[in-house]
Amino acid sequence: MIGVGKIKQYTNVLEKPINKGKQEVSLSAFAFLFSELVQYNQTHVDNIAELERRLEDAGYAVGARVLELLCHREKLCHISWAGFESLSFPSHVWIRLFVETAIEGNRRETRLLGILSFVHSTVWKVLFGKVADSLEKGTEHEDEYMISEKELLVNRFISIPKDMGTFNCGAFVAGIVRGVLDSAGFPAVVTAHFVPVEGQQRPRTTILIKFAEEVLQREARLG
Amino acid sequence: MIVCVAVVGQQNNPLYIQSFTEAEDDLKLHHIVHCSLDVVDERVNNPKRSGSTLNETFLGLLYPTENYKVYGYLTNTKVKFILVTTDLDVRDADVRNFFRRFHSAYVDAVSNPFHVPGKKITSRTFAERVSNIVKSFRLSSSG
Repeated sequence: MIGVGKIKQYTNVLEKPINKGKQEVSLSAFAFLFSELVQYNQTHVDNIAELERRLEDAGYAVGARVLELLCHREKLCHISWAGFESLSFPSHVWIRLFVETAIEGNRRETRLLGILSFVHSTVWKVLFGKVADSLEKGTEHEDEYMISEKELLVNRFISIPKDMGTFNCGAFVAGIVRGVLDSAGFPAVVTAHFVPVEGQQRPRTTILIKFAEEVLQREARLG
Repeated sequence: MIVCVAVVGQQNNPLYIQSFTEAEDDLKLHHIVHCSLDVVDERVNNPKRSGSTLNETFLGLLYPTENYKVYGYLTNTKVKFILVTTDLDVRDADVRNFFRRFHSAYVDAVSNPFHVPGKKITSRTFAERVSNIVKSFRLSSSG
């Protein structure tokens, strides 16, 4: 499980649910691993664009698997109480209960807004412990959407030297988003950008999602 | 009795096909799985009732042939699981349970960093888990 950071603080250790197990990974362990990933790739490439592409490819592999895992997991938590049987219910009601809970598993998203809010809330929650800061639609083009974050978790312990220009290690997260969208059937080009914000020393990070033409056509067809 | 299970990828490419009887002809089972893909596509593109069943994962009985029943299951990434069985009185709940465990084994196999998405699943652990699931299905349905 790639969840990072503290998901929920328990004041009393006795209140922690026993069967949930550890759903968090130490932030420092992940930060070290990520810095090693960046350093390893840096020694193997000649230019910045190649480094960004490699990080994005690494993220793509993660994104594809995260989608499979999330759909399967959410289904499990809904089915868990379907085995309940009560003598007070007439049998046809009980069967309906079972079927309804089985159907309520994670749905396959076919609409653009559906998959975007899935990425913005569910995927972000699982990976970073909180939902993304904002989801906006681009004003200039129809096919552009932006997910913004005050500071990406992966960038927290990274500062980019001046001579690297506009390179952003958030390319890894952009790759994850691209992996999720691609596996769900919404091919897109995803990039990460720094957006300077006045009053804040470190710039905000924006993940820019540009959907392919066929996605927009399908969306228009579905109405 | 389960005769064959198959995992078919997004572009209808086979990722894993395994038959569980020695007597049957493998080619015939491949053909049955292939034909059932058409039924899956039809179900996905023309849903019978819009609304609650629009995005369901379990597709149910796809079509019965001479002596086989074929069940389908669609995951969020358009990967399809096909189950071919010769049982006549198999319960819906049993098949759903089977597919749930199969999905679990599939997710574990795909999470392998050495697995290339779109290529065949070559994990031996996956093959063992699938044969265990098939065996327990056989026991539960006959018992």
